[in-house]
Amino acid sequence: MGKAVGSVKLGNLYSGGKVRKRREWRGLRDTLYDYWRWLKIMKMLTAFLMHPHNVKGFLRYRWMLNYVAVPAMIDKHTVGLRGNHLRIAHEEYDLVAEDVAKLLDTAFRADRACGNDTELSKKIVVLDENEMFTIMGGFPTLKGISWETAAVYVAVLLHGDAVTHYLDVIQEMGVPGDVCPMPAAEAGVVIDDDIPVFGGCVIQCNTTCDGSLMGNGIMARRYEAEGIPVFQIAAPLRHLEEGVQEYAAQEIRNAIKFIEDSTGAKWDWNNYFECMKRFNEETQHRVSWMEMSKTDYPQVIGANLALYSETTYMAIAGRVQDFVEADRKISKLAEESYARKEMLVPEYRHRAIIWGVQAQYYTDFLPWLQNCWGILPLVDMLSLVYFDKVSEDDPEQAIYDIAKLYQEMIMRNRTHGGYEVLLDDLWRFCKEFDADMVILWEHISCKALDGMHGLFEERARELGIKLVWVNHDLMDPRVIGRQAIRDDVNRYMRSVLQEEPIDPSLENLDDEHAW
Amino acid sequence: MKDLKHLLYFERLLDDADNELIRKAQADGRKCVGSICYQTPEVLMDLDKTFPVRLRAPRSGSLEMSTYYLTSFLCEYSRAILERAMEGGYKFLDCMIVPDGCTMVNRCVENMELLHTIDKEGFFYRYLEVPMKADDNGLSLYVSECRTKILGALSENFGADVSDSALRDAVARHNKLCRLITEIGNFRKEDNPRITGYEFHIICMATYIAPKDMLIPLLEETLEELKTREPDPSPKYRARVVVAGSEIDDVDMIKLIEDSGALVVADRFCFGSLPGRQEIVLNDSEDVLTQICRQYLMDNQCPRHMNLEKVNGRKAYVANLVKEYKADGVIYEQMKFCDPWAYEHVTGAFDMREKYGYPVLTIDRPYAIGTSGQLRTRVQAFVESVEIKKLQGGKE
Repeated sequence: MGKAVGSVKLGNLYSGGKVRKRREWRGLRDTLYDYWRWLKIMKMLTAFLMHPHNVKGFLRYRWMLNYVAVPAMIDKHTVGLRGNHLRIAHEEYDLVAEDVAKLLDTAFRADRACGNDTELSKKIVVLDENEMFTIMGGFPTLKGISWETAAVYVAVLLHGDAVTHYLDVIQEMGVPGDVCPMPAAEAGVVIDDDIPVFGGCVIQCNTTCDGSLMGNGIMARRYEAEGIPVFQIAAPLRHLEEGVQEYAAQEIRNAIKFIEDSTGAKWDWNNYFECMKRFNEETQHRVSWMEMSKTDYPQVIGANLALYSETTYMAIAGRVQDFVEADRKISKLAEESYARKEMLVPEYRHRAIIWGVQAQYYTDFLPWLQNCWGILPLVDMLSLVYFDKVSEDDPEQAIYDIAKLYQEMIMRNRTHGGYEVLLDDLWRFCKEFDADMVILWEHISCKALDGMHGLFEERARELGIKLVWVNHDLMDPRVIGRQAIRDDVNRYMRSVLQEEPIDPSLENLDDEHAW
Repeated sequence: MKDLKHLLYFERLLDDADNELIRKAQADGRKCVGSICYQTPEVLMDLDKTFPVRLRAPRSGSLEMSTYYLTSFLCEYSRAILERAMEGGYKFLDCMIVPDGCTMVNRCVENMELLHTIDKEGFFYRYLEVPMKADDNGLSLYVSECRTKILGALSENFGADVSDSALRDAVARHNKLCRLITEIGNFRKEDNPRITGYEFHIICMATYIAPKDMLIPLLEETLEELKTREPDPSPKYRARVVVAGSEIDDVDMIKLIEDSGALVVADRFCFGSLPGRQEIVLNDSEDVLTQICRQYLMDNQCPRHMNLEKVNGRKAYVANLVKEYKADGVIYEQMKFCDPWAYEHVTGAFDMREKYGYPVLTIDRPYAIGTSGQLRTRVQAFVESVEIKKLQGGKE
């Protein structure tokens, strides 16, 4: 009992509180491996708190409390996994956790309210959370940091309720509750004066949506008040069109010049191309995992693909060798499992494309899909990004590559660019991945997705694809809770497809208060 | 005050998207270009063989069909336009040229296209990439997009003359209209204005939804009439306000505010005149298209413009209107579910109060306001608060 995939009734682990009743028993070897990884995370957290500026940061910022849930966050994304799949997950999540710890350490060291290292602060370029970090590849002497990632994006991954306070703050200011909660929460952090202040300059970008764009305005005003110069990259929306590429490239040239002027640093082509070699290799790995997912034996799917892809593609962007090393290990593990035809759950019933934007407070919904109903989340919209090889040696072409990557940031490449990239591409991917089902996240505040609602349904009907709407409010679980999300699937599976779950203990979970 | 002679006619024009002047122009062989936002420069579509109209959905009722396609989370303007399109209300159009402006309107037009709501032979859609920053790079993009997707499309499909001299003619016609609207609008600056905000709104809005040349004689006559019009000796208004915010094409909106005791002296909203009805001054040394685009880009007050100069400039622009039109306060309005104005009205209201010291009311509203008692009460309360402030001599 416990060693084999699917041998544990996973619903029994839930306690109704913040943490689970006990750790999952996965057989001796896997349990020991998992425990060893858990110890490593605890060691990393302890080391993080050894620095006085980090202790100050921990006490100064309300959102830091969420970081006590790091081990729980990794646990919830490894639930039910065994063997190589468990190892793939740990390679990913542990590395991401380490990277976030470094981000926080740098941020607090430079932050005026904590370490107040002014020399370091001058060498930091502040970026948006949902922005490509590619441009930082050309500035090896500078650090690209996004406090939004730490305060909002990761915080909600760790703890579903992490930003509800900041949403209340911004709504008290008068911003309505129907805007996207992510930029609203970021703006709320600023209004609540919970923003770490540092940086030689700021590079913002019109990322995914109108809400994000407008939230940036609030932040830009704050940076201005703090005397930190801000530049906005206005990447074109119609990113498939040739006619906008020269404009996009000039935006990048202007941004580079702005960073040079603000920090005194000089663009370094050698370092940039080194980063792009790593970036290209990372892309190759991700594409190879997706190729596997087109077969009967997918190996790197669901949350294992989604969260790691976002980090590697956007935030790392080839700048860190450790991620390439991790990619190589993951590919090796995946290939071994593929050769052995290993399965993630005992039974594969449906092959699904995950489309739309995930509920940030319930990213472990994807493991739940596979564990409860045998629905394989083969690939998600946010992982389907720009896969063309970027130049590794041509400076002129490189500017256009960077511009293209900024246009095709995660999510932005689907929410902007016309209906072709959001609506038409979905059915193309269904065919490529041999998917019979689409799990369509209906992030209720996402106007770009909402605006295609009817046409998604019509096309799915025409093509005979099973379309399951899953409603959520991205970062506000008070609006739509986790069980309500699960119930969207439960209802469809029982009433439309008349199926029984492969693990009934997961159908209804008492996890309302869980981290 | 004595009724304006042509006001009823203007009101009737606004009753239908497909009004009699559009039909007359089309009967004369001109093609009607549907547009939806300030950011497709209307002067570039007002050529020898074409004229622009900005889409409205007057007398909207149920939005059930469009709500199915767009959900209830998109603003009612986008839903009302799609609903009207699905009902066949825009079949008179010959093409649509729209910007990738706000997401909701963009999705609305895409749905119009995908649902084949307009089946006229040769009908086409063009989506413009419009810059979100006012700088040289943005201008170059704007010029290139306007050249290919407006001028190129109209020339290719309708044989419109898009030469520099044709554009200069278009600018001259546009300027003539703008001068008339500006002169009419300037009466709002008077201590006791001889025109109401409602009347001006109706007149100004008509210029967006009908061939402009056909309106010129009526506007000239209206201006002359206004020059001798006697305002009421004791006006019923208790406060003067600037209305700033998102799209207002609802004839009842300004009326409701004025019925609640506030005279609307300046209109800083889509379908308003500030900006939108300013003359374009051309020089002889630069390409005409570039000059036109620059004016639209620099004058643009859309909250989707993201550079700090614009972010702060928008507030300064509204504050300046308060001063110039001697207003007592500002009403920031936002159509419900409009993301750009959801934020802009908050930061705008904050700056008006804290930085400029002006009283502010912020409201969100549906597309068609009707006779909303709730909104009426809010405006009345605002007017009272402004009055009390006046009585206290501006003291808290």
